Amino acid sequence: MQEHARKLDNKKTVIIGGGPAGLAAAYELSKTGVESIVLEKDQMVGGISKTVNYKNYYFDLGGHRFFTKIEAVENIWKEVLDDNFLHKKRLSRIYYNKKFFNYPIRPLNTLRGLGLWNAFLILISYSYAHLFPAGQEETLEQWVSNRFGKRLYKTFFKTYTEKVWGISCSEIRAEWAAQRIKGLSLVKAVKNALIKPKNSNKKEVIKTLIDSFDYPKLGPGMMWQSMAEIIQGNGSQVCLESEVEAILWNRNNKSIDSVEINVNGQRKLFHGTDFISSMPIRELIQKFKPTVPEGVLKASNHLNYRDFLTVTLIVNKQDVFPDNWIYIHEPDVKLARVQNYKNWSPYMVPDQNKTCLGLEYFCFEGDELWSMPDEELIELGKREMAALGLVQKHDVEDGTVVRMLKAYPVYDSGYRGSLNTVRKFLDGIDNLQLIGRNGMHRYNNMDHSMLTAIYAAENINGANHNLWEINEEPEYHEERAGKSAGELVPDEIIIKSFNRMDKFGFAAAIGTVSGLFIFLATIFLVIKGGEVVGPNLQLLNQYFIGYSVTIKGAFIGMGYSFLWGFLFGWLFAYLRNLFLGFFIYRVKRKVEMLTFRDFLDHF
Amino acid sequence: MNGIKKKEEKLFSGIIRFNAKILGLVLGLLMGLVVFIATNWLVIMGGHTTHDGITVIGPHLSLLRQFFIGYKVTFTGSFIGFAYGFALGTLSGSLIAWIYNKIVDFKS
Ligand SMILES: Cc1cc2nc3c(=O)[nH]c(=O)nc-3n(C[C@H](O)[C@H](O)[C@H](O)COP(=O)(O)OP(=O)(O)OC[C@H]3O[C@@H](n4cnc5c(N)ncnc54)[C@H](O)[C@@H]3O)c2cc1C
Repeated sequence: MQEHARKLDNKKTVIIGGGPAGLAAAYELSKTGVESIVLEKDQMVGGISKTVNYKNYYFDLGGHRFFTKIEAVENIWKEVLDDNFLHKKRLSRIYYNKKFFNYPIRPLNTLRGLGLWNAFLILISYSYAHLFPAGQEETLEQWVSNRFGKRLYKTFFKTYTEKVWGISCSEIRAEWAAQRIKGLSLVKAVKNALIKPKNSNKKEVIKTLIDSFDYPKLGPGMMWQSMAEIIQGNGSQVCLESEVEAILWNRNNKSIDSVEINVNGQRKLFHGTDFISSMPIRELIQKFKPTVPEGVLKASNHLNYRDFLTVTLIVNKQDVFPDNWIYIHEPDVKLARVQNYKNWSPYMVPDQNKTCLGLEYFCFEGDELWSMPDEELIELGKREMAALGLVQKHDVEDGTVVRMLKAYPVYDSGYRGSLNTVRKFLDGIDNLQLIGRNGMHRYNNMDHSMLTAIYAAENINGANHNLWEINEEPEYHEERAGKSAGELVPDEIIIKSFNRMDKFGFAAAIGTVSGLFIFLATIFLVIKGGEVVGPNLQLLNQYFIGYSVTIKGAFIGMGYSFLWGFLFGWLFAYLRNLFLGFFIYRVKRKVEMLTFRDFLDHF
Repeated sequence: MNGIKKKEEKLFSGIIRFNAKILGLVLGLLMGLVVFIATNWLVIMGGHTTHDGITVIGPHLSLLRQFFIGYKVTFTGSFIGFAYGFALGTLSGSLIAWIYNKIVDFKS
């Protein structure tokens, strides 16, 4: 015990990035007495989840809902902010064709909005897609259309998805959509369909996670600010405006010696026993000194990101719309989503007679939107809001712009291969762990980003978690929570019971046993003998022409019986496979639908 | 790498194999119960009385006697029938599973 404490005394962890992940790592380490230093390049903590303060109007980038199934993360949130959370019922809608549609979609509301004729056409196109699915499923367009029909795809998926990614859905690979639904295990879904959880209604839990959320009174930044204070209170450091510019590593013993930052032109080195990085992998690799092998560098350059900017408008009106946010599917405007921060928390605005809106545009660093001067962006925002009929230009009294680099790691066709190459190299470095969202080039939300950090901290204290399994294998963290009846059944059993039956094998087995049955029964009666041998069994010859209770008849009966048994067995196996296949197909579609329920929320 | 995907592949591509003991037991219990219930059903329903005043219960089911020596359509007979049915079912079930598994093994 004492030795362990001494060991911890000697440990010092350098953490790159003061976003949710970096801070969570420092927080966990500080609890166990391990000293750490967080190096954050920005002027404030929080990373993508920070809260910006503009003239006492608070806003975050994208609107960060706090919802999680991970107990460890939930506990930290409660520890840090206690009762500073507001519990909010979510209201979000899609704006399309000058109409609002509830999102997640509600069938009746959608039908009403689309009108009877359109709804009918959608139904036809939906049925058509299911009856005659496109053979090829290479693009996102084909993938979604195959499941929802072309019309529904065009109405509710196409424009927004294209705004998010900046390319046509016919250029986005279907693999990406499949990636989005991969998190939901089909085996688990089959299990749940068979064994309804006794105590908890899973559907209800998912619904709750989508339909309501927690939000700190002053936005997510409040969480990170408080966390940084606790970390510092525990004796560790959080350094702002400290951009890591070089990672100094030792090629021979494959470990990191120190990281370098630049303070007012002065080079400063930070040594540590362990290093944790939440900065984008691409940049991390580029900052290695000496440089990494050519192939690794090349692979890291293939990791791409989508950037994002928010035009914040202060509107001189008490109420603009009741939603937390609205998805803008209108193809005529570049605007993709509008946040109404006051509806997230009334504390976000200093004057309740005003409204603060966040107009979200997706872009690439350096493209036309990204490079547009702030004043022009604010003008664009005003113009588009007026064109949509949501806000009149003259009601806007002020505005500001915040650009967020690398908001989304891109899952393009080559990313997995590149990531594997980079991972292979980084896995070989003993005292470095990657955590978080861009830190792992993974679509992690705050909770999963924090879980990677918690596990990284535990690894430093001797645990052996594989951080790459988080958010790849939902079971990894779900198994920590209480198990429902269904979860107690191992997946292997479900898989085995749902495997196909070999039709020939089953037919032959049933045929053989039935054949033997009649053969032995006949022989038995023949041996038993009597005045009239087996008059009742003899009746079989009404069906088995030529059959008699004799030695010869035993063979004839065996032949017939084998044949009928074979046919019965084959049909049984065929029907069983067919119905089970249909059952699995239904479950699979349900899983896909469930994922698409909050599909748009993932961007 | 991706456990979920692997599991899904297994779900779609695997061929089921039977556990001979379990299939035998299930079929044994099923056949045993069929004979047991069928016998007791006839016993409870009672039989019919012939012109000679003899009560006949389950004349057709009692034909099983030809194979199940000692079996009768009576309450005690239902237990004997159960034992025979169980033995026959167990044997058939295990044999079906054994033959099926052998064929599947051979094919793969
Ligand atoms: C639009 C949008 C909406 C979102 N909504 C939600 C939501 O509702 N709920 C939710 O749970 N999640 C949401 N997320 C995801 C959430 O923002 C991320 O999961 C979370 O911020 C990731 O935390 P992180 O610490 O891994 O990374 P980041 O937040 O990216 O933090 C990394 C930090 O590293 C710093 N850094 C980078 N390079 C260096 C360097 N060289 N030296 C020093 N520091 C460096 C950065 O400045 C940054 O502060 C959303 C994301 C986006 C883009």
